[in-house]
Amino acid sequence: MSTVQLKNIKKVYPFSGGDTKRPKKEKKGGTAPEKKNNLQITDEGVVAVQEFSLDIADKEFIVLVGPSGCGKSTTLRMVAGLEEISGGELYIDGELVNHVAPKDRDIAMVFQNYALYPHMTVYKNMAFSLSLKHLPKDEIDRKVREAAEILDITEYLIRKPKALSGGQRQRVAIGRAIVRAPKVMLMDEPLSNLDAKLRNEMRAEIIKLRKRIDTTFIYVTHDQTEAMTLGDRIVVMKDGFIQQIGTPQEVFSHPANLFVAGFIGMPVMNFFDAELTEENGRYFVELGGLRTELSAEKEARLKARGVRSQSVTLGVRPEHVDLADEGAAATVDVSEMMGSSVHLHLTAQGRSMIMIVPTVSMADIPSMGQTVHFSFIGAVAHVFSKETGANLEF
Amino acid sequence: MKKGLSGNTRGLIKLTVLRVIVYAILIFLCILCLFFFYLMLVNASRSNAQLATGFSLVPQENFFKNLVNAWNDSSINIPRGMLNSLIIALATAVLTTYFSALTAYGVHAYEFKGKKFVFTFIIAVMMIPSQVSALGFIQMMNKFHLNNSYIPLIVPGIAAPVVFFYMKQYMESVLPLDVIDAARVDGSGEFRTFNTIVLPMLKPAIAVQMIFSFVSSWNNYFIPALLLDKAEMKTVPIMIAQLRSADYSKFDMGKVYMFILLAILPVLITYIFLSKSIIKGVTAGSVKG
Repeated sequence: MSTVQLKNIKKVYPFSGGDTKRPKKEKKGGTAPEKKNNLQITDEGVVAVQEFSLDIADKEFIVLVGPSGCGKSTTLRMVAGLEEISGGELYIDGELVNHVAPKDRDIAMVFQNYALYPHMTVYKNMAFSLSLKHLPKDEIDRKVREAAEILDITEYLIRKPKALSGGQRQRVAIGRAIVRAPKVMLMDEPLSNLDAKLRNEMRAEIIKLRKRIDTTFIYVTHDQTEAMTLGDRIVVMKDGFIQQIGTPQEVFSHPANLFVAGFIGMPVMNFFDAELTEENGRYFVELGGLRTELSAEKEARLKARGVRSQSVTLGVRPEHVDLADEGAAATVDVSEMMGSSVHLHLTAQGRSMIMIVPTVSMADIPSMGQTVHFSFIGAVAHVFSKETGANLEF
Repeated sequence: MKKGLSGNTRGLIKLTVLRVIVYAILIFLCILCLFFFYLMLVNASRSNAQLATGFSLVPQENFFKNLVNAWNDSSINIPRGMLNSLIIALATAVLTTYFSALTAYGVHAYEFKGKKFVFTFIIAVMMIPSQVSALGFIQMMNKFHLNNSYIPLIVPGIAAPVVFFYMKQYMESVLPLDVIDAARVDGSGEFRTFNTIVLPMLKPAIAVQMIFSFVSSWNNYFIPALLLDKAEMKTVPIMIAQLRSADYSKFDMGKVYMFILLAILPVLITYIFLSKSIIKGVTAGSVKG
């Protein structure tokens, strides 16, 4: 059993008189929180994470994903015990660990930049934590060799980190973590420093590794492909707040708000200013002469929430837009031949959009400046509130 | 087509001339540095009478005679003096370097209130010359009955702002905080992390500062001369001064040069021993470069 519970976790970096300036006092009363570089600054300091609540099940693979500065690494470091928790409670296996030292949390962590001990050999790097536990030498040797075998680094055990490539070093860093068989494995953007090819290979390795070591994982990344392929559940974060928690499919198919819709999916979702019309319990979106009825499932959800006719932000993924003889008009800006498909960059209703068209269904690639028409089905249209940016279905 | 040398040949000639100039300057500086060592070696081989005749670059035959004279001088005990200096210099070098690295590590790796003030304060102390506080220091040591003791020569040296500053700057460039975090997660306590992970990563800086501290302590005359009265406790610089100020009947400059030659040997040995550690790339491979 190794569950992790985060209850209303908050992280505030107090002012140290250094880089960040305190908010100016108002003439009367206290201070109003201000936002600078997406971080909330209050009287207490800079708020990096707030209202973070999450229950992680035993052996679950959770991915924290979000743009730089969203608080994902800070959250991970709080779980590791490397950052003090300013508010809230953190439980590992039901035990409150807010003030427990990292070494007593039975966790292991893989860092973005490997963080290997440069003066030690690969073997000693991996054996370091075990020797601190005063395990017998033969047991340490067995565990190190087992981990090295899993990661295919046995032949490098006598080398020092400087004699290894980036990919090999990251394997050693992972080996150093798995050799301890921790309750919770924390990974802070472990693949970010690798080149694209190696990253793909290592991603597959991590999937295999997860099956072998079978423990609870918390994985931080800014790469949505990693998030989608690795996670059982994804936690999308922005400006220190959780935006959505869900399975990769849920997050992709039912984004909670404009941010999640725009962040998850590549190329990013197309957004339009459109009108949502409700007629006798049926919902339609109208976009530049194109009127599409939403799917029955979506209509039921909107009806349940009592959503009325209104101006909305309509979101449709590039792969869900189709070329049509009739529909909304768009002008071709650029077309990118990707092999199996063509990415058409268009301008429609004053907004840029992308359409992915399979090459097989295309007689000719539209030329620059040509007008095309597009449509989409109601099941793939997402309607977001103009005011709050929230998905009106949820 | 232009007549004369091609651009490539002109470039080559320019490069060769530049190199010759650079090497000539380097050789001159090298000679300038080594000349005084050579002169000391020559003088250590000359008798007092020969030295009185003036400057010479040719070694003479009195080297071993001077060595025996210096070694057997009744007014000074060279082996004892060297041992005294060695104890003080080694202890100072080791303790200064260790504790300065520890202080620098504290300021580098931990976040605490007043961190900037602490750093600025330590740097400010660096600006105060030791002579300013010497009299008060000597009085205080006398009151503590610590004159004729090595403690006042070793312990205050531990607080060395210059070494602290050097270590702090070195850590900024070679010690990633992730490595410290990795050790913490691995189960290492703070002290163990410093001793087993951080110190080995600072090896080149430690070697440099050990050499500097050792040499500076070995050559220190001012404070030891004020504190040490007992003959058996005196250090090498005091003994050299004593030899130089001997009365006319006993004065032997050959002996003085021989003692100076002997005095620099431990410094040379320390340098040769520690300079092996001053290598680049000790931390290579730790984090993504």
